[in-house]
Amino acid sequence: MMTGRAMSARADWRAGALALALSGGMLAAAIPYPARAAAPDAVAGRAKAQACFACHGENGIAVVPGVPHLAAQPAPAIQYQLVQFREKYRSGGGMEVMAAGLSDQDLRDIAAYFTALPAPTRREGDAQKIAHGQRVSQASYCQSCHGAQLQGQKHVPRIAGQAADYVAVQLRNLRSGSRVDMDGNMASAVKGLSDEDIDALTAFAGAMQ
Amino acid sequence: MQKFTRQGGAPLRALVALAVGAMGAASIGHAIAQQIPAPAVMPAPPAATAPALAPAPAATAPAAAPAPAATPAIPPTWAQGRSAEQAKSTLTPHPPGLTALAVDDIPTTTLKAPQGFKVELYAAGMANARSMALSPSGVLYVGTRFPGNVYAVVDKDGKRQVKVIAKGLHRPNGVVFKNGALYVAELSKISRYDNIEANLDNPPAPVVVFDALPKDEAHGWKFMRLSPDGNYLYFQIGTPANITVQPVTHATLVRLNLKTNILETVAQGVRNSVGMDFHPVTKELWFTNNGRDWVNDELPNDTLNRITRKGMNFGYPFCHQGDLLDPDFGRGRSCDEFDKPVMKIGPHVAALGMRFYTGKQFPAEYKNNIFIAEHGSWNRTKKTGYDVIRVVLDAKGNAIKKEPFITGWANGEDFWGRPADVQVMPDGALLVSDDVAGAIFRVSYAK
Repeated sequence: MMTGRAMSARADWRAGALALALSGGMLAAAIPYPARAAAPDAVAGRAKAQACFACHGENGIAVVPGVPHLAAQPAPAIQYQLVQFREKYRSGGGMEVMAAGLSDQDLRDIAAYFTALPAPTRREGDAQKIAHGQRVSQASYCQSCHGAQLQGQKHVPRIAGQAADYVAVQLRNLRSGSRVDMDGNMASAVKGLSDEDIDALTAFAGAMQ
Repeated sequence: MQKFTRQGGAPLRALVALAVGAMGAASIGHAIAQQIPAPAVMPAPPAATAPALAPAPAATAPAAAPAPAATPAIPPTWAQGRSAEQAKSTLTPHPPGLTALAVDDIPTTTLKAPQGFKVELYAAGMANARSMALSPSGVLYVGTRFPGNVYAVVDKDGKRQVKVIAKGLHRPNGVVFKNGALYVAELSKISRYDNIEANLDNPPAPVVVFDALPKDEAHGWKFMRLSPDGNYLYFQIGTPANITVQPVTHATLVRLNLKTNILETVAQGVRNSVGMDFHPVTKELWFTNNGRDWVNDELPNDTLNRITRKGMNFGYPFCHQGDLLDPDFGRGRSCDEFDKPVMKIGPHVAALGMRFYTGKQFPAEYKNNIFIAEHGSWNRTKKTGYDVIRVVLDAKGNAIKKEPFITGWANGEDFWGRPADVQVMPDGALLVSDDVAGAIFRVSYAK
């Protein structure tokens, strides 16, 4: 199977390739939308995710400081970040190297594995800080995209229960511009936040389940 | 540092007070703003140094409040303009296509065309393939919004090749070919790749043509066309929000004079046009325009528009689709103040790329018709769009009818692809780009 990545690296197109595409199309017509040659496979994903476990944990709960929990992330959110690492739009934690060799199917399978794991447990914290974080979250409309419980939706990641050292660093990087977000929404959301706001927001997100 | 903080604190509160006044007392911003204190550790600024506009800190600021929250933000673009009721809606934008479907996974045969037409896969493997431009030698250039790639599709010796000719650009959605050079419009700048066709495998470093464009991400990507005389690049500067009173620079169609490098406004009050073309006979500019979100499922329509004189204003944010006052921004205004579209296309369909049909392959009645790629809705309870439509013009050049041309990207509420642009080929076939499948389809006609 040719992946998008392989194709973009200059595949030859012949009449034969087009005939193949058309027969593939007829096959796919019988499959419910969206048509996929192979559905995301969590079992295959677990095997492919072995290299992830040293940092992100076998249960998707990070075991290394500064690394995000992946358990219960929406599958598209995992895929989208992996694509961005693979294509070098985002870097950090060596992820651009880890993702370099992954095919589109690998991304789908790995995402299928992590999304099915139980979500991280909420984290207690300073009540006043959490309350401040909640106010910042409301003023910054975090829940508009990340969901009412910050559980994530579609390609927008879950931040409920997310590792504090990860969230705080990412928000700072987005604020400084050293991390470029996909569509500019995060850059504008965090632009006006103080360090205190970011720490409070981190505590609030951590306290959500 | 502390000195700056002290002097900066009071104007911040003044600004918040202004913003709160504009937003209304019930907003969340108000609740937060009330808690914005003078920094707890700072003494109140001496009266002599306090800026004149600052309110008296003691009156508005409880000293023991927690660390100040940021200035209340505005919602992300897509969520702006929702009513309290709509804020509970589960509708959110679809994730963009960041990867291309594998060739075997593209269900081309689900695409339906009128009798006598055929749809086939033309090229694939181009993540987020969107705007298209064709060179005289037949090389197809394809821009993207998300991955930062620009592609070239080359037909040579019976083989079709897809080449990545640029990577890492910032929203390179606009592509134009002129005099051997490829012009690429990114978010805030336009660059030129000279003598590109001889160097597709090793493209030259780009020359910056114009880089004084706004950097707003919302509706900041460009659709770009070359004027028929070859002297101007036409493109849009979209509104930086869903609905707002935009800066005078935004919600415009503009053109860049390639000889003088002077930018001119072509039309105002255009929320975001991601498709435009020049009429093959009259040379008038026609364009699609995307309507605002969150009025309701049926309003407002995306529109097809026509430039017939200088300085036209199509109404945004006050009036939509020529006859619908904005429920908020339209108060006290009249749609009579503004120019009208030539056709309402449909609500939330996301009418993007458009071209006049100038080929000779399709039946005679298609001559100088318009094809429009409808990217498909997100801000609607039931999906609509996800097709290519045909707009029929009468002998006087008026748009009189629209009908579906290619359908099948969506099936009910599911979709596998989204049409983004169309391109007429020298042999008269029509290409359709799809930025979710990362592919291009070819529509041809045989008697």
